[in-house]
Amino acid sequence: MGLDLDRKFQGIEDVRKGFEDVGYVCSRRIATTLYLAHHLQKPILVEGPAGVGKTELAKAAAAVAEMPLIRLQCYEGLDESKALYEWKYGKQLLYTQILKDKLADLLEGTDGLAEAVARVHQYDDIFFSEHFLAPRPLLLALQEKEGAVLLVDEVDRSDQEFEAFLLEVLSDFQVSVPELGTIHAVSRPYVFLTSNNTREMSEALKRRCLHLYIPFPDAGLEREIVRVRAPGVPERLRAQLVAFVQQLRELDLKKVPSVSETLDWARVLLILNARDLGADLIRDTLNILLKFEVDIEMVEGRLYEMAGKAVR
Amino acid sequence: MEQVLCDLITALRGSGVRISPAETVEALEAAALVGLEERGILCDALSVVLAKSRTEKEIFKDCFDRFFSPDGFIASGERPPLPTDPAPRAADSPLSRMLLSGDPAGLSMAMREAADQAEISGIYFFTQKSLYIQRILRGMGVEGLDRDILRLTREDPDASQQKAGALRAGKAFLFEQVRDFVEQQYVLYAASAREAIMERYLRDMKLSNLEQRDYERMHRIIQRMAKALNDAHSRRKREARRGVLDVKNTLRENLAFQGLIFAPRWKSKKVNRPDMMVMCDISRSVEAVSRFMLLFLYSLNEEMARIRSFVFCSDMVEVSHIFEAYGVEEALMRLQKGTGLGVGLGRTDYGQAFRDFKETCLERIGRRTSVLILGDARNNYGAPETDILSLIHQRARRVIWLNPESPPFWGTGDSEMKRYLPFCTLARECRSVNQLERAVGYLVRDG
Repeated sequence: MGLDLDRKFQGIEDVRKGFEDVGYVCSRRIATTLYLAHHLQKPILVEGPAGVGKTELAKAAAAVAEMPLIRLQCYEGLDESKALYEWKYGKQLLYTQILKDKLADLLEGTDGLAEAVARVHQYDDIFFSEHFLAPRPLLLALQEKEGAVLLVDEVDRSDQEFEAFLLEVLSDFQVSVPELGTIHAVSRPYVFLTSNNTREMSEALKRRCLHLYIPFPDAGLEREIVRVRAPGVPERLRAQLVAFVQQLRELDLKKVPSVSETLDWARVLLILNARDLGADLIRDTLNILLKFEVDIEMVEGRLYEMAGKAVR
Repeated sequence: MEQVLCDLITALRGSGVRISPAETVEALEAAALVGLEERGILCDALSVVLAKSRTEKEIFKDCFDRFFSPDGFIASGERPPLPTDPAPRAADSPLSRMLLSGDPAGLSMAMREAADQAEISGIYFFTQKSLYIQRILRGMGVEGLDRDILRLTREDPDASQQKAGALRAGKAFLFEQVRDFVEQQYVLYAASAREAIMERYLRDMKLSNLEQRDYERMHRIIQRMAKALNDAHSRRKREARRGVLDVKNTLRENLAFQGLIFAPRWKSKKVNRPDMMVMCDISRSVEAVSRFMLLFLYSLNEEMARIRSFVFCSDMVEVSHIFEAYGVEEALMRLQKGTGLGVGLGRTDYGQAFRDFKETCLERIGRRTSVLILGDARNNYGAPETDILSLIHQRARRVIWLNPESPPFWGTGDSEMKRYLPFCTLARECRSVNQLERAVGYLVRDG
């Protein structure tokens, strides 16, 4: 397992191939980052516009490394009881009820309150042991014996307190549970953090991560992505549709189409059995690429010109 | 290798990329991992480790390209003009020999070594350029070259004269290359230092003395400040204080379980987001300063959710909607000119402004509201209406007055500052960015 993994991460080119085998086409920069992350054992903070495949990258990494993917979706108000661990209060209380009778046996023969308390003390920690611990994603990732890929999705949505709390996990791969002590990772997980840049992450967090910015792919890379993810689209159509999407991204739109929308569109065109991109075909399917009425209106105005350019 | 990377990092730091020592170590590891063979991969690898935001990545790319750009000796393939009889002799200095035999790699090496010796990474001002050029030339042994030229001109034969001519041409070429090199290094290391000095200088400058060309820079400084203010504020203030049991709530919640404590409830502390009302004087007397006050106000509006802004000259109007509707330039212009506000920009009348305020939103002031007044309190001898300010003071959490005049001038002439003072929780002089920042710091601390 470990050997296999090392082989896959032997060189930057190997990384690129490995990811392509599971259907993720990465640019040289992404491959270099993955390679470094493996060898330096650092988390990767992935930033970029929505829909360029940030989350997908983590999924692909899990597939390449053949490890489970553990995902933690961040949102405002996320705290450690949802991210790290929680005590199973219900179970604890249930057990106290069940064990009530046992208490009489236990305390049999004790003389006076002090002695009884002393005896109970011998057992006191059982309720705060791992039996009553409900692990949440972060703890799960650390406990995974064979290693795991931990995806902390949209970390920019979490609060700053949570971000600070992540620091311990990211730098030392350990967490502190006050009642149990420090729990170390069994084997270091691969950590991906994604951010849509709704707010700037703190310096401390950035310092502990490799920082990868994924922009929209250039035409060549996007064609490659369509080839791998939507096989069956004829080569000519592929070039045309990518050229059209690339043109759209240059316009001043409310929301520019992302890679995932390009893929959706490619699949739709495939289902429609299209051979060539024409202005009418584009008009009928434009709502797959553009999600705002104003955007659609704006593009429809210059559809012929753009379609002409794309076909050429 | 280490030295080269450290120099690169110095240059990056200078350009405003923050790099910690830990990241430096990582950069070295990363460089060792990917090797130095391929420039593109090295650039990617270092960019991933060192530059941690999109702007930083751009700066990095720029710096990287400039840092690893070849110098004039190697780049252009230019060669020193060769003499007809290029016979270096043992008597010639090493530099003359290199020039005569046309050895670009050797010259480049010699120059870089000399530059290291001269500690070129310390260059800050353009006036230092000639100093560094001289130092580098001397480090490369230009004195030996001069001696050679002198010796050869004194000698008689034609060949010697020719050689001297060639050396003179070589020296000119050398000087040009070194100058270009120093120019490059200056751009690399000094650009940022200049920026930092400029900023420090601007921060202490009186707002009223600022010139048009500095506005841009000022905008950035103020925006950064408003952002810092907001970061401190908008942090989620609800911190669940785990471990402190809320007995009352727990009992109530668990009544359903026959009084068994099944689901404990914990105490949590709730801190409110700030609630602010800002009044800004835009009359003539504070015209120069009000632009920055408004800019600051604009930045605050962008960052804070619950803030209401008013401007006044004689009448007071709410302008929050203008801040929302327009870009910063447009909004400021509209406010300063009074377009679409529906108020006349006449004589300053604090009394009227306070009366307007009392009518429209005195009720809105609660015990959590901070009221911020920006103005010089010069009332043209009108009625000051101190009782309204006193009312505001009683209702609000605090009243902060930022005055662009310094305290000795308060209360002189038509300034009513002394009369308003008793009703201000805090009154500060505020006429440079640093003073504004201090006032903001106070706002944040007790937020």
